Amino acid sequence: MKIGIAGTGFMGETHAAGWAATPAAIAGFVGSTPDHARPLADRYHTQVYPDFAAMLAEVDVVDICTPTHLHHPQVLQAAAAGKHIVCEKPLARTLPDAREMIAACEAAGVKLLVAHVVRFFPEYAGAKATVAGGEIGQPAVIRLTRGTFRPKKPVDNWFTDFDKSGGMMLDLMIHDFDYARWIAGEVESVFAKNISSAEPDAPIDYGLAILKHRRGAISHVEGSWAYPPPLFRTRLEIAGSDGWLNHDSDKNAAVGMHLRQPPGEAPDVPIPGSPLAESPYTTQLKAFYNALTSDADVPVTAADGLAALQIALAAIESAQTGKPVDLKALPEVSA
Amino acid sequence: MTIKLGIVSFAHLHAEAYIHNVRAIPGVEFIGFCDDDAQRGQHFAGQFDARLLPGYEALLNEQPDGVIICSENNKHRPLTEQAAQAGIHVLSEKPLATTLPDARAMIDACNATGVILMTAFPMRFSAPLLEVKASLDAGTLGRVFSFNTTNQGQMPIAHRDWFVDKKLAGGGAMMDHTVHLADILRWFLQTEVAEVYAVNNHIMHKDTVEVETGGMVMLTFPDGTFASIDCSWSKPLNYPTWGGLTMELISERGLTVVDAFSQNLTVYQQSSHSHRWAYWGSDANHAMIEEFAAAIREDRPPVVTGEDGYRAVEIAMAAYRSAETGQPVKLPLK
Repeated sequence: MKIGIAGTGFMGETHAAGWAATPAAIAGFVGSTPDHARPLADRYHTQVYPDFAAMLAEVDVVDICTPTHLHHPQVLQAAAAGKHIVCEKPLARTLPDAREMIAACEAAGVKLLVAHVVRFFPEYAGAKATVAGGEIGQPAVIRLTRGTFRPKKPVDNWFTDFDKSGGMMLDLMIHDFDYARWIAGEVESVFAKNISSAEPDAPIDYGLAILKHRRGAISHVEGSWAYPPPLFRTRLEIAGSDGWLNHDSDKNAAVGMHLRQPPGEAPDVPIPGSPLAESPYTTQLKAFYNALTSDADVPVTAADGLAALQIALAAIESAQTGKPVDLKALPEVSA
Repeated sequence: MTIKLGIVSFAHLHAEAYIHNVRAIPGVEFIGFCDDDAQRGQHFAGQFDARLLPGYEALLNEQPDGVIICSENNKHRPLTEQAAQAGIHVLSEKPLATTLPDARAMIDACNATGVILMTAFPMRFSAPLLEVKASLDAGTLGRVFSFNTTNQGQMPIAHRDWFVDKKLAGGGAMMDHTVHLADILRWFLQTEVAEVYAVNNHIMHKDTVEVETGGMVMLTFPDGTFASIDCSWSKPLNYPTWGGLTMELISERGLTVVDAFSQNLTVYQQSSHSHRWAYWGSDANHAMIEEFAAAIREDRPPVVTGEDGYRAVEIAMAAYRSAETGQPVKLPLK
């Protein structure tokens, strides 16, 4: 199986490391410019494609690690070329885009896997398994936190361009919207408040969302690009009818390093993590490899990616209007 | 001047803590207590070797300077009115009342005779929260944008069964655990809440209690600052303590993390196969009752008033209304 990776920023690099741990062969990369893709191509002793179309012609699977607004045209192009697709979250920038992408993949008979990597983090996967095993009863109140600093880019910081990324609530909080739905089922309504750097006098991005699930659970989701670098914190708490579980990256840190460092030595794009034998990104791509090379069910479906997008966009709308957003009122979700 | 205090009812378990505080504070004398449940009265009179008076009138006839009302929530009003008529200052447990008209009547009754009405919000006296308040006031944190707060607890039926009786308590988790943080946030920001959104549910302890056990509240202040309060009774019954109060504050300068009850030793005993948390932080109840006595002595309003109690109840009421309608509710309530 030959993989072509589109996007050679932080996520393309992380996925390349994951694919390298699978039997798949990395055929090459396409970056925003050939020069940008060169170091990564050299590291994996492979090539830089001049553009996305050139890469499609030579691979079996394309892994789309590009900025969010590019997912839609690239997925359509890949589907038209009959290639299976791994797509970074969020699946798309808008719901119509996402629906069109799913329809195109269905029509072309190609698989579309959405990289909701949090499902592969062992603390999150373990909590899901614990809930699924019935150990803490029916989920009642779920609290999820994901917080860090605002991602930087040397040039063209698409993360902070709301039209391209959807901002922090779409880019970051979508992880926990997906997770909340995975734990407690479909979401009925969303109420959210935020501070967005899109506002002229707001120096930070931060949001809180309250989800009502159809089966009765409540989720509280916190997302932050408001911390000073290099802080990255995640927390997860699930209270159920017969118990309670939690994870707190502050309290469960296996290694704490408090070192004297020159100022300003923070990474551009933060990444959460605890020391593990295998990176959760690799775990994810191994699962995707299995799904792409067998009849195994895909671990995260395109419909999951669409549903998470729907919740995130509802949260953004709620924060903008000040009103709760009823997900039933949104257009019908197919697939 | 010695301040004489009496306790009215041990219906609320906090009375068990307050009696120690009243006895320990220099310049304060514990004159006794009454309880409309004779059996409960006898029980605690024995447990604390405390003087049990035959009734509320008998307690008031002792002419204490103040009473601490620890009855069921819906009895705060008549007990406060009676104390006010007797010219006796009142420290009432929270929530101040189970309805807004009751809370207003208590404030009016105390104003009419010039006695103090203080609401028992001990978290105003929590050393960790006072430190955050000082940083806020000094401008150390910069402009404040948001708070993510929790006041979770165990479902309290094991402590007192009336806590889960809607008529006596005024509600479930949302009434019990919204008011503390609602008060703290008003105090921190020195402004009133403009809007309340809330949801609640009844999944935990569904077969044991009839009131809501899960709840999430979002407060919005006039300048757009927002704060969520998790008021759920979501701590398992075998959790090492009753619950806790936490806060994450997002401001211009970054993140401030508060766990007001984290000052514990973790103690394991092998022979009993058990462990516990041994709290070593400062006692906020002690400081709260000191303030009540000081306000009486100095003939001044206390730092937490009946009006503060009213506002917190109003926020809880708005939360119930929002949970019922699914829509945000504007304050003040009409």
